[in-house]
Amino acid sequence: MGKLRFAIALTAAKLSVIALKITKRNGTNFPGVVAIKICPDFLKYINRPEKIIAVTGTNGKTTVSNLLRDVLAQAGKRVLNNGLGSNIASGIAACLISGVNIFNREKYRAAVLEVDERSALRIFPYVKPDMMVVTNLSRDSIMRNAHPEYIRKILEDNIPPETRLVLNADDLLSAGIAPGNDRVYFGIEKMEGDKTESCNLINDMQICPRCHTRLKYEYVRYSSIGRAYCPECGFRSPEYDCAAYNVDLDSMIMDVKAGDESEHFDIMNEGIFNIYNQVTVITVMHELGYSLSEIRNFMSKAGIVKSRYNVTKCGDKTVTMLLSKDKNAYAGSRVFEYIASQPGDKEVILMMNCLGDVKHWSENTCWLYDCDFEFLNGHGIRHIIVTGPREKDYKLRLLMAGISEDIISACETETDAPGLLKLFENDNVYILYGTDSIALAGRVKAGVLAAMGEEGTK
Amino acid sequence: MRVEVLFPEIANLYGELGNIRYLEKSVPGVKIKETYVNEKPAFLDAGCGDGEGFDLVYMGTMSESSQLLVMDKLAPYRDELISSIEGDQRILVTGNALEIFGKFISDDTGEKQQCMGIFGFHTERKMMKRFNSLYLGKYGDIDVVGYKSQFTHSFYDDENLKPLFMTERGPGFNPEVKEEGIRYKNFMATYVIGPLFILNPPLMTEILREAGTDVKPAFEEAAMDAYRSRVAEYSNPKTGFYY
Repeated sequence: MGKLRFAIALTAAKLSVIALKITKRNGTNFPGVVAIKICPDFLKYINRPEKIIAVTGTNGKTTVSNLLRDVLAQAGKRVLNNGLGSNIASGIAACLISGVNIFNREKYRAAVLEVDERSALRIFPYVKPDMMVVTNLSRDSIMRNAHPEYIRKILEDNIPPETRLVLNADDLLSAGIAPGNDRVYFGIEKMEGDKTESCNLINDMQICPRCHTRLKYEYVRYSSIGRAYCPECGFRSPEYDCAAYNVDLDSMIMDVKAGDESEHFDIMNEGIFNIYNQVTVITVMHELGYSLSEIRNFMSKAGIVKSRYNVTKCGDKTVTMLLSKDKNAYAGSRVFEYIASQPGDKEVILMMNCLGDVKHWSENTCWLYDCDFEFLNGHGIRHIIVTGPREKDYKLRLLMAGISEDIISACETETDAPGLLKLFENDNVYILYGTDSIALAGRVKAGVLAAMGEEGTK
Repeated sequence: MRVEVLFPEIANLYGELGNIRYLEKSVPGVKIKETYVNEKPAFLDAGCGDGEGFDLVYMGTMSESSQLLVMDKLAPYRDELISSIEGDQRILVTGNALEIFGKFISDDTGEKQQCMGIFGFHTERKMMKRFNSLYLGKYGDIDVVGYKSQFTHSFYDDENLKPLFMTERGPGFNPEVKEEGIRYKNFMATYVIGPLFILNPPLMTEILREAGTDVKPAFEEAAMDAYRSRVAEYSNPKTGFYY
């Protein structure tokens, strides 16, 4: 009965793909939704490539998954990948459907699957990865993900024992996951600018997991990302199997070593988290048997990953669009830190409002007090506009961060924000928006450019 | 004013230490003592130590494994803790920190974790079910707003146990009751997070007034503006309360 139901589900899913094409509708997930609706254990029956690499973790999994796919393509390996779809069970199903024919015969020998960490319990009982990357674990949506230990437990309860793990030694929250599994560790050796104490509000690795003494850090980059040790019992972060060192952000080059090999690499994108993503991919490729020299060659051909920051120049001014994931304090802190690190005078428009929530209830704003708004205090930031449904909460949070009320403006409607800009000489305007407000942010940007244009004609 | 914050290195989820940062900005000269998990809470010895007691002891939300650790660390001091509560020590615990003081936590696998058993209530946990809601209630005549985001509900087993808040909208201690949290002498516990003090300047003012300190909330105009908007929003029947 199960196989008959599966056959019906696969046929229906394949037909839905054709229907989507004919009607020119998007819906990369839809075939998977159809399949699981008809056959709830669809993933049990669908054939899959003989080698599966899963990529999960709180941050960076999309970047790592896409880069790994592209680098493998340069190595001549065509892999099945869910880069265009979602990373929950229906997205994985849709991806695997695209990898088989109507008779359930697989067309690919390998797959790189980005997997939502919370969906592990619906995916891994059926799809057992040969290798699994955990990029890191950190706080995310309070409502969905609670706290990192919760997500770690979900992963630990569902990671198949035979799966080889690729783990971030600089993230103790994920480094100790599933201790019975084989593993390899990556990381970045001490860099210029590293600290020995975390200055972030979120730091979920403050005590030794063995004796509960407060941990010390040889170096820490943000939150608890760095190399820790316990001064009492000798516990310390795991050693690197593959590590970046001599990281030079001015020249955008670094060295990477793995075993007896070492090689120069171009740094593909700014931001420490992006270097971690690159080192993750290098580690996976090395685990797949490629030499560092080969990996460097493939990576150079994979092309530079475009900046996730969309910058538009308008006269002497710039407008930068920054996606800051809604209700995610950890991601918000990284974005604020990035803005603080940039040169010049700045104005910031904060509009990461959960517009989806507004339709049904009201946003849970706890995350504001986990997020380092303190990075917006100083650093050339001369004006901040808070806007949208939570403008009053933003304003209070900025005041709590020590920011003068004199440089805060507020408006209820996002599209009114451009009219409040001061537009200093050589101004750099940053628009921070969430995943719920991508289209709206585009309209705000148009308003900002229009204001800049008018300013230029005065 | 002297405030002791218990175990801030682990009891710090959901921005809850914002309560203490707001209090610091509202009370000039306040002295904050942070006590780490391997240390004995200072308020338990304050009477026989330097002679200066603490006006408020605070503990915030934590992970489930941290609950076990905290209970393990507090177990040797259970009798002193009870004496302190009976002696009118002012204590505020928010989020799941309150569960430590109940009888037990049972989960959906049938496992039962014994807790400190100081108050007559128990907790039921469903780790694959997150309960998310808004909250509107009353502390005396004061409107209280906030959020709930938790895996648990608690149930009063002692009918004499008094709540901290009376619920107007949203779930109480559990969805079946209007009572929310615990008030016993000066011990206060609630699931409502926000952070509670930041979202509710009048509540913070009243709790500190009860502790003998009159304060003007920091950034009062902005804080009250946000508070009034939220009370109005949550009082609006069109605002959904459950996620």
